Amino acid sequence: MQETQDLESRGPVRARRPLTAWFDVRRDRLGSWAFALNRLTALGLTLYLFIHMAVLYLLAQGESRWDSFILVVRSPLFLALDVVLIFGILFHGLNGIRVSLVGMGIGVRNHRRLFWILSAIGLVLLLVSAWLVFTI
Amino acid sequence: MPEATVPFKIFRYKQGQNAGHYDTFDVPIDEDTTVLVALQTIRRDQDSTLMLRHSCHHASCGTCAMLVNGREELPCVVNVLDLRSSPVVVEPLRNIPLVSDLVVDMTDFYARVNPADRPYVRHSEFLPWAQTPDGIDSYSRFENCIECGACVSACPISGTDPDYYGPAALAAAWRVVEEPRGRQPQQALNWVDNEKGCWRCHVAFECTEVCPSGVDPGGKIMALRGELSKQKLRGLFGFGRR
Amino acid sequence: MRDKSLTHQGPRQDRSGAIWLIQAFSGLLLVALLLLHMVAHHFIVEGGLREFRQVVDYASHPAIFAITIIFLIVVTVHTVLGLRAILIDLRPSLAARRSIDWLLLAIGVAIIIYGIWLEFIIARL
Ligand code: SF4
Ligand code: SF4
Repeated sequence: MQETQDLESRGPVRARRPLTAWFDVRRDRLGSWAFALNRLTALGLTLYLFIHMAVLYLLAQGESRWDSFILVVRSPLFLALDVVLIFGILFHGLNGIRVSLVGMGIGVRNHRRLFWILSAIGLVLLLVSAWLVFTI
Repeated sequence: MPEATVPFKIFRYKQGQNAGHYDTFDVPIDEDTTVLVALQTIRRDQDSTLMLRHSCHHASCGTCAMLVNGREELPCVVNVLDLRSSPVVVEPLRNIPLVSDLVVDMTDFYARVNPADRPYVRHSEFLPWAQTPDGIDSYSRFENCIECGACVSACPISGTDPDYYGPAALAAAWRVVEEPRGRQPQQALNWVDNEKGCWRCHVAFECTEVCPSGVDPGGKIMALRGELSKQKLRGLFGFGRR
Repeated sequence: MRDKSLTHQGPRQDRSGAIWLIQAFSGLLLVALLLLHMVAHHFIVEGGLREFRQVVDYASHPAIFAITIIFLIVVTVHTVLGLRAILIDLRPSLAARRSIDWLLLAIGVAIIIYGIWLEFIIARL
């Protein structure tokens, strides 16, 4: 705390606000993009988790409530949202694997390569699951 | 003969002012003109109150680091025509207190990188005959750091929290672990083992991207975390701390 | 002049390293659990779990029941710690940080209790 005051009494610091700092991705830096997307998907998945858990309460309310709910989520709009969800899960999960490993000092030199390999895997999985979502 | 006239949009701020603003100057440029030389030309011919810091003119001192078109650069080695931009926007480093115009106050930065009682930055020895052993691609030494502050300027966490040690200081700490030369690696590890230290970094390597000297501070921070992770996991499974 | 030595600079060792490791390992565990979750829900039964009876029977299976509860706890821990990291980056004051920690703890506990309660209800249907 002491240090903060010290710094700021000496002159304005041209610091970015946290929010703009996180999303400062204009310099096509891979790591910044990955980080920004990781936070966005994190927030999205958190929201989904809450919705998901609330929805499961419908099960407890009996068969008719559940069936009408299933009817709604079988609509094309919800199926498309499913694909968005799957993208979020895949990105957050695969990028998370990379950040966990690199953050523990594993594969630091190859973090970019790791990113592209995991992205390729993610893309394949995304396409396959999108296909499955709309066909089964 | 100048090849072109390029407008420079420069951040201006003087002590006592509430906020900064931008001034634009047209500068005659030839094919060899660097951004630093262009700034000096402005100061000589157009506005003698323009403040900037520089020393060596060839990227070995780190004194002049600033933002050129929003990116951390050493303007002494940035060719103006190569930028292909008009105007060229020049601003001081971010996340470091401003003194005037393009000059920032590096006091705290130096203090962190080179704590008074434990000089992390050492004279580097030149080993022209050094060959890399099997399994090692190349040597990268923290002594490469020219203390320019570019990494701190690029780091979003330094922008978020002024108490964050910042990439350069953390990279310096890793050098003690990597090559103690009589100092205490564990002390350096303990120093970084907290929320203002290596755990705050979010692993996006902005610092490594902008470092003009190949220090790879992001990689060094990951190395610190690797070492600490090992220690913590060992501790967890009852192997005790080293 | 301020003391610049290491021992006087910045806070001492704290739990942030342990918290980061928990976040990393819970994340890795989640990848595995989620894979299981997805495969189980969508591929075991032809066309995926959809019918009311199917879902209820599935959820009441003891092994699935246990895995779901583990999943619930891990996902909650990961979510709460993730939210904490994001909130800390918004530069809250020290007092605000303390309330954030308590609030997140309360949210986490509430989610887990709610989830387990729901599990029991569904299993008994
Ligand atoms: S990798 Fe870490 S230290 Fe480097 S810029 Fe990003 S947050 Fe800052
Ligand atoms: S680590 Fe690189 S960017 Fe940071 S101060 Fe040293 S030379 Fe400059």
